[in-house]
Amino acid sequence: MTHRHPPRLALALLERFLPDSEPLAGDLVEAFEERPSVVWFWVQVLVAIAAGWGARSTEIRPLHLVDLQPCDAVERTRRFSLRFPSVNLGASPVTGVGGLGLVILLSLLTWVRPTAWWLLLASALAGCALGAVMILIRTAAGPADNITTIRHG
Amino acid sequence: MSRDLLTDFELMILLAILRVGRDAYGVQIAKEIEATGGRRVLLGAAYAALDRLERNGLVTSTVGAPTAVRGGRAKRFFRVTARGLRAVKATQQALVALWRDVPQLNATRA
Repeated sequence: MTHRHPPRLALALLERFLPDSEPLAGDLVEAFEERPSVVWFWVQVLVAIAAGWGARSTEIRPLHLVDLQPCDAVERTRRFSLRFPSVNLGASPVTGVGGLGLVILLSLLTWVRPTAWWLLLASALAGCALGAVMILIRTAAGPADNITTIRHG
Repeated sequence: MSRDLLTDFELMILLAILRVGRDAYGVQIAKEIEATGGRRVLLGAAYAALDRLERNGLVTSTVGAPTAVRGGRAKRFFRVTARGLRAVKATQQALVALWRDVPQLNATRA
């Protein structure tokens, strides 16, 4: 089985699986001019890939399980936090008392004064509404706004 | 056994590079082995051996300019280093030493 041009798929596979195989690919193309056999070409390519992979399997290569430099990890963490900005829904307008503390306080107040139940309900609804507004504002602000916040923070 | 001794294929490749001279690249090396050594060579296997020889410091390689005949791909020229030459000589001496005083070979010769 002869052909005028070497099979492109074989060349593509060779260059895909053996990244530094340009001189070898050139040699195969040159040899194909004298021996224009597609079968011969495929055999050469498959043997080259197998031999190359066999040689690579004996090398000791780093697994890259961690970042090469600590600064890479810092940068990646920063980019991740910019992509998914955090919204603290537990923030409280009263200093020293968290959102959960306020809920407990209001629950106790409702238990002591049952008539103040509406206060707990209104606070919960207001908290939900405030949270939704905060999420909308943060989402609309985008990453650029967050970069400024981090740099100044 | 010394690690400097070569396999038969490595020895053939180094000798082919030495015989071809300056312009020793994959196709030329394979042709030289096929013509002189009478052994068919797969270019991929030759390159795997050449890479191994280069890692061990027995050959060096330089990449030439791309040529149109090769689809714009460059040639990789190989040269034998001083260490490679010593390895060839050491292998030759070991083989010659093994060759001597073998009764069956002497009987054949006689």
